[in-house]
Amino acid sequence: MIAGKQTSGDIQASGDIRVRALTKTFRSSTRRPGALGTLRSLVNPLMVTKTAVEDVTFSVAPGELLALLGPNGAGKSTTIKMLTGILVPTSGEVSVAGVVPHRERERNARNIGAVFGQRTQLWWDLPARESFAILRDIYGVPEDKYRARLEEFDELLELSTFWDTRVRHLSLGQRVRCDLAAALLHDPPVVFLDEPTIGMDVVVKEQVRGFLKYQVEERGRTVLLTTHDMTEVSRLAERVVLINDGRLVMDGTLEEIRRKFGDTWLVRATLADPEAAVSGLPGIAVVQREGPRVVFGPDGPDAPTVHQALKRVIECYEVSDIALEEADLEDVMRAAYQGAGS
Amino acid sequence: MVNALRVMWRITRLNFRAQLEYRAEFLMMIAIGAIWQVSVIVFATVLLTRFSGMGGWASADVLLIAAMRMLAHGLFVLFLGRMHALAYRVQEGVIDAYLLRPMPVHRQVQLSFFPTNAIGDLTVAVGLFAGALARSRHDWTAGQVAFLIAGVLGGMLVEAALFTAMGCAALRYPASNYWSQWLEELLGTFGSYPLNVLPKALSWLLTFGLPLAFVAYFPAGVLTGHSSTLGVPVWLAEVSPLIGLGLYLLSRLLWSWSLKHYTGVNG
Amino acid sequence: MSAVPSTWRTARITPLGELLAPPRIAGAVVQLTIQIVLVTALWRGLYSGTGGQSTAGLTREQAVSYAVLAVLATRLRELDRYSGRDTVIQHMHFGTIVYWFLRPLSPQRYYALRALGDQLYGLAWAVVGYAVCLAAGVIQPPVSGGAAAAFALSLLLGQWILYYIMLLIDQLCFWTLRNSAAMLILIFAQNLLSGVYAPLWYFPDWFVTLSSFLPFQATLNVPLSVYVGRIPLADVAPQLGLQAGWVALLALLTRLVWSRAARRVVSQGG
Repeated sequence: MIAGKQTSGDIQASGDIRVRALTKTFRSSTRRPGALGTLRSLVNPLMVTKTAVEDVTFSVAPGELLALLGPNGAGKSTTIKMLTGILVPTSGEVSVAGVVPHRERERNARNIGAVFGQRTQLWWDLPARESFAILRDIYGVPEDKYRARLEEFDELLELSTFWDTRVRHLSLGQRVRCDLAAALLHDPPVVFLDEPTIGMDVVVKEQVRGFLKYQVEERGRTVLLTTHDMTEVSRLAERVVLINDGRLVMDGTLEEIRRKFGDTWLVRATLADPEAAVSGLPGIAVVQREGPRVVFGPDGPDAPTVHQALKRVIECYEVSDIALEEADLEDVMRAAYQGAGS
Repeated sequence: MVNALRVMWRITRLNFRAQLEYRAEFLMMIAIGAIWQVSVIVFATVLLTRFSGMGGWASADVLLIAAMRMLAHGLFVLFLGRMHALAYRVQEGVIDAYLLRPMPVHRQVQLSFFPTNAIGDLTVAVGLFAGALARSRHDWTAGQVAFLIAGVLGGMLVEAALFTAMGCAALRYPASNYWSQWLEELLGTFGSYPLNVLPKALSWLLTFGLPLAFVAYFPAGVLTGHSSTLGVPVWLAEVSPLIGLGLYLLSRLLWSWSLKHYTGVNG
Repeated sequence: MSAVPSTWRTARITPLGELLAPPRIAGAVVQLTIQIVLVTALWRGLYSGTGGQSTAGLTREQAVSYAVLAVLATRLRELDRYSGRDTVIQHMHFGTIVYWFLRPLSPQRYYALRALGDQLYGLAWAVVGYAVCLAAGVIQPPVSGGAAAAFALSLLLGQWILYYIMLLIDQLCFWTLRNSAAMLILIFAQNLLSGVYAPLWYFPDWFVTLSSFLPFQATLNVPLSVYVGRIPLADVAPQLGLQAGWVALLALLTRLVWSRAARRVVSQGG
């Protein structure tokens, strides 16, 4: 029932995203310190300028899924808001599917779909299906295409079990699935997802990820995904862009990031002879020693892989027990956040 | 006990400072409280001049009803008033959070924010109260002053009882805000007039159906010598403050019961 | 892409939400009924002390009709969008306002469609209520056919002005994140000065003159006064002209504000 790679009939525009030297600064008012300052601030507040995003440049090719990562408050949401046309950049250029979002809002709206994590676009007091019908009218989706798409979404996300319940009674997982369907109802070539699976249970997360993978691979949509979930990144993203303190610090494939920040591993060995002398080997250093327990780690740019190191350690020392630890993506990203930000 | 009071005072101070963060809002909230009450006064005065001898009451006496009601309401809003928009906050999950803290939930609800509009409310209420007393023709004995204070406090407790009961509904039904808003308007509209203006059936409804009469009409009636025309036995009107206390205690019991049966927000 | 038939679903969102919740409908009926009964009794009671004389130019029947029509008009003035998290301030608070700017339907048109749907639904309620009250003798029929026609026109203009006032209040959200105080002040001013609590005619002359400089009295006091005959047919034309003037002025003002507001969407989150 699932069709192969989409034909030119479905997606009209070429859905690429291009961002160049994007910058956004905000002005806000704060209270002056002290009791007198408080009263003074009632009529004459202090204005502070904050740079949320500075000189960010990257692009997303059509049919690519890009993960936008970074610590909280790094400027990811601001960037997405500029990409969707909600915020006007202070300077720089942005183009989504060939349209400048904040200038041609209506044209841009037809090219994009968006799901913002905890925020729903569905109407609280109405069943989800009614929300779909309203959006169908607003976007002008032809009836036959509408039915076909709903059927497809239902098959992938099991919507029909709850799409007649009023949205206020849906669980988080059900609601976000409906929001995903609502965002894709008009078949946009570009999709923005701001932490879509936050707070969901594991089963629903997997279902959503499978759905997203299908949309990218089979339907050729361009997806920009913000997330904190590293499993999601490793499952879905081909490329990763890291933003920290409003600046772009890294733009590359997962492999490149791993290579730069995360080829760490540990070999935990228990020596047969607790008194035996242990020293480092070429490319392998002793990280920790506690009696018979020794921990080895990589040393320098020419360190071997963990499996090579394992072989070497066994060759050189008599061990009664040995175990490996490979850095997972979280460790890699943590190192990247810290290393790249400084 | 002392510690509890100290905590309450500190939280109240913080809430007050939190209100100052949004400067325009703070100033306007005081203003709205004041404006609202001034309008009630204007309206009442207008009606009094147009319709003299309302239900057989002299204008100064009707003004006393309005003043007692306004002061009772202002005190209610200041001390016991955070019940009003509870339904919406319940939907946001605040009760679930409150249940996990070592402080009674009711107290936390009361301390959830500072009612800036109460400042305006009370300023005007006190003004009207002073004005009404100045215009009243009676010599105030100590006993009458004591009853006046008791009457105002009793009125505060009756309003608190009604809105606490609405708060209990808010724990279960998100739409209950609709009703508590309506109730507030009803009390505001009909709480400042001598109820014998209305037909007997309706004034009974507003006495025994909704205890509106106990807020200000009965105490003011007793003080201004209208005890016999109130439509209820004199002793009932004279114990209005106690009725207020009783109703409030009942509402608190209802609150505890409702809290025990609280099922949480949709999750 | 935005012909009338394709957007009726948007207009009926609030009414549909209400219709899907029978308790709310029942609640509205109960509240309206109680309100009408109480208000009728109050005004009849007040007038019984005056010995049947008219006050401020209004007879007992006129006063009661006015008061009951004002109660019915509350359905036309505002539906409950708060429990559906559908007011502008809630959209700002929850951040769901972003979606208004991501659809091919502009926020202005969307807002206007929703208001139209709400008002038509409210009108249905008001008409039914009117028929019931007329039959019960609580409301007097209009004094003449001309008065009825003038009333209809005046009401239309009044509702239009009300729409712009509510729009201005909502637009305020784009500048101050918390606007509940401003809203309360304006709603209260609206209610008092439009004559919801009592016909403005009872107020001192200076008050009536003052309020004639504000648009609020044009939303309700004028139409209802035309209906009960307090404003005679001869004096209707200038009143209608004044209402039309307010419509034009407020339309221009809200248009200006929209273009500035749309640039100021500040949603929470970083």
